[in-house]
Amino acid sequence: MAQVVTIPTRPARIAALNDRYRHHAAIRVLRDALRDPELGRVAMVSSFGADSVALLHMIALVDRDTPVLFVDTQMLFPETLAYQQEVAAKLGLTDVRIIRATPAAIAAADPDGDLNQTNPDACCDLRKTVPLNKALQGFDSWITGRKRFQAASRADIDFFEEDPAGPRIKINPLAHWTAQDVADYIVNNNLPRHPLVSQGYPSIGCAPCTSPVQEGEDPRAGRWRGQQKTECGIHFVNGKLQRIQPAEAEPAEAETAAFEPVDGQPVIVRDSGFAADDFTGEILDLESDTNLDEANVNFREAELIRIAFPSFTDGRGFTIARRLRMAGYKGRLRAHGHVIADQFPMARRSGFDEVEIDADLARRQPWELWKRSSEVAPSYLTRLGRQA
Amino acid sequence: MYHHTEFDRAFVVDRAQRFRDQVQRRISGALTEDEFRPLRLMNGVYLQLHAYMLRIAIPYGTISPDQMRQLAVIADRWDKGYGHFTTRQNIQFNWPKLVDIPDMLDALAEVGMHAIQTSGNTIRNVTADHFAGAAADEIADPRPYAELIRQWSTDHPEFQFLPRKFKIAVSGSPNDRAVVKSHDIGLRMVEKDGESGFEVSVGGGLGRTPLVGKVINEFVPVADLLPYLEAILSAYNSVGRRDNKYKARLKIAVQELGIDHIRELVDERFAEIRPKFDGTDQTILDQIAARFGQPTLVSGRSTADYDAAREADPIFRSWADTNLHAHKHADYAIVTVSLKKHGATPGDATFDQMRVLADLAERFGQGDLRISHEQNVVLPHIHKADLAALHAALREADLGTANLGLISDIIACPGLDYCALATARSIPIAQQIATRFDELKLEHEIGELKIKISGCINACGHHHVGHIGILGLDRAGVENYQVTLGGDGTETMSVGERAGPGFSKDEIIPAIERLVYGYLDVREDASETFLQAYRRLGPEPFKAALYPEKAAA
Repeated sequence: MAQVVTIPTRPARIAALNDRYRHHAAIRVLRDALRDPELGRVAMVSSFGADSVALLHMIALVDRDTPVLFVDTQMLFPETLAYQQEVAAKLGLTDVRIIRATPAAIAAADPDGDLNQTNPDACCDLRKTVPLNKALQGFDSWITGRKRFQAASRADIDFFEEDPAGPRIKINPLAHWTAQDVADYIVNNNLPRHPLVSQGYPSIGCAPCTSPVQEGEDPRAGRWRGQQKTECGIHFVNGKLQRIQPAEAEPAEAETAAFEPVDGQPVIVRDSGFAADDFTGEILDLESDTNLDEANVNFREAELIRIAFPSFTDGRGFTIARRLRMAGYKGRLRAHGHVIADQFPMARRSGFDEVEIDADLARRQPWELWKRSSEVAPSYLTRLGRQA
Repeated sequence: MYHHTEFDRAFVVDRAQRFRDQVQRRISGALTEDEFRPLRLMNGVYLQLHAYMLRIAIPYGTISPDQMRQLAVIADRWDKGYGHFTTRQNIQFNWPKLVDIPDMLDALAEVGMHAIQTSGNTIRNVTADHFAGAAADEIADPRPYAELIRQWSTDHPEFQFLPRKFKIAVSGSPNDRAVVKSHDIGLRMVEKDGESGFEVSVGGGLGRTPLVGKVINEFVPVADLLPYLEAILSAYNSVGRRDNKYKARLKIAVQELGIDHIRELVDERFAEIRPKFDGTDQTILDQIAARFGQPTLVSGRSTADYDAAREADPIFRSWADTNLHAHKHADYAIVTVSLKKHGATPGDATFDQMRVLADLAERFGQGDLRISHEQNVVLPHIHKADLAALHAALREADLGTANLGLISDIIACPGLDYCALATARSIPIAQQIATRFDELKLEHEIGELKIKISGCINACGHHHVGHIGILGLDRAGVENYQVTLGGDGTETMSVGERAGPGFSKDEIIPAIERLVYGYLDVREDASETFLQAYRRLGPEPFKAALYPEKAAA
């Protein structure tokens, strides 16, 4: 007897996915989505717009080799193009594919570049929807940065949705985020903002069709202002087949030159990596039990203060550093001794500029560990308005 | 219920990921065991007698039904089918494998839970009154403040490597149900000239050197709370002793240097730190308060069914008499579900029971669940008309024990059955006392009597503040139990006094029985509790009951 195999319909799979990921945080949705066989081959689509950097940062953390599709309509703000380069380099994204309409298609439909004024829908179709749909053909699912708060028209979106434009699933990891969540995330991770945000553009599309938004307006109110139009088309209509230009690979971030620890010589750890000690001046050494309130500790003139960590479990040095900074000390602050990679963010956030360790520790805990521990530490203190 | 923000969720996911990475590095050798230890401790992972133990925070004792169900999943999948609620509003799983713990943390992160700072020399899980938001006697709900403190203390870069662990408790009510004066910092909500603030005490603690906290500041306005706490921690990080772990807690610094010296130091630090807070914390506090949804309390629904059930069913009546507390709305009650069934391990719940509690909280209790420091589960908003149905459902799940505040509602630490530090067993003693008084059918006649049992001098079972405290020690390889009398963990906190020589494990149950009969003989009437009688008469009649030979001689 033949075995009956039931393949769930896509709507059923989407309902199951939404249920399964009901309690997940955005980054977890993203991480699991990239591995979930139900979602198949996944690409991310990003406009490199006002809020895009949050999701791009997450994807870089989860898997920086994920294909990221960026549609260059050739009508974008020059700031967007520069920002795209900056963000891709900073985050180390290795597979950003720039999608454009073919010159032939543009020559046929918009030879003078004024279609946006006569028929904006056709313009979006030509420059955005069609090229993107073509580029998405090799994928089963795609990640978007859409959020419920952005507009009344997006109030119901969920983590997973059927893509009406093709046999694909749309993944919206940030569906439940608020504007504050995005802002917090960008601040906490020290991510670069699109330069136009500070000029009053909370949502950024093509230059001719984007205007600034006034206080109190819907964040997407500046898109196609004065028109019925609220979405460009890639989020709700199908397009016709069109050839796209091949993607241009982004150059990978240059790795810092390999540094070899040498026995007997200190290794200095900074945000930029391991290095030999470059300081040749006079160092003011403070023990971990130093009482800063005693009159004989004159630290203000010191160019470099080095605070001892006799053991990594002795956290007094963090408070000493913090108090020096609160007292207005602006010079170089160095933690010295047994400080481990996991304490690097604590040292930095307590006011230290750098850490001095010995070659043994540097070999056992290479730069990669220090780097990883200093990435993405969201900080409640920053959020609570406690200044460094 | 506090609804977590995306920031909270991202934070716990990030921490779970980091710990997975740290476990891998320990396995690869990049981290030595010495270096891994404080990292696992910061993530709630202890190495116990038989296995690793994972301690999960239930901040200020508040937990949602979905979170409770996730604990059930964890108990079922990665542990032996149960979890143990502790005296500091945590839950412990005693049998996880180290390699499974990252998966357990991921599962917790899915529902916004974590094990961050539940151990290690850092600021621990912030505790609060388990009746918060429901009690009739409350000035203000302490949980928004507790949540603010949780956020401030979480991953605070300066205070992850303190001299020793650091515990903070918050009470919003004059009747202190959070034992605030046995904490490093105890906060009691007060009002002054119409402004809300906190009376702050420091240097309380149990352990080897039980000390009652001393008031360092009678009134700290709400807006100064975080900088004031930061000033205390900054001072402690500088002057707390690091030469002897048994003398490293803040209470020893307060005892050795004096409260005035500590106050002076804290005031100086406060002056430095206060300008660094720009006031955003107060905006966040408002947002936090808004995220604690208020229960919908209906007026006008009849409570006649409740009165009828009391008349008709003596088992229900007995449970209602012991396990209910006054709610701020007269038609509602606060229900405490006892996890102290006679003969069972105090504070343990099976995964089935966790699911039942989650379901009942949704069905009858507005989806609100609490864990008390007395190791019970609280359903804070139950309409009186639903009590009989709730009780029936609880009994079916073996959760209907009517013993709250009675002799068998015992706090006991895990003791030598689990703990690497313990010198004696505590759980079997608790089980035998509960079983014995159940046989005697005396429990309800005895009335309120708090027995607390610790299996070693570190006093996790809070024996110092038990009306009757039992401390298990090791005397030349034999378990020996000392009895303390007259302890009290409420706003009238006192540390119990040692009654005399200890008892062997075979002698201790009869000794407690003599002691209780001695109390019944001397009390004025049934309304005078053990503690009241002890305070009126002093220790002598109680010692005479404990040591009859000596009294006869």
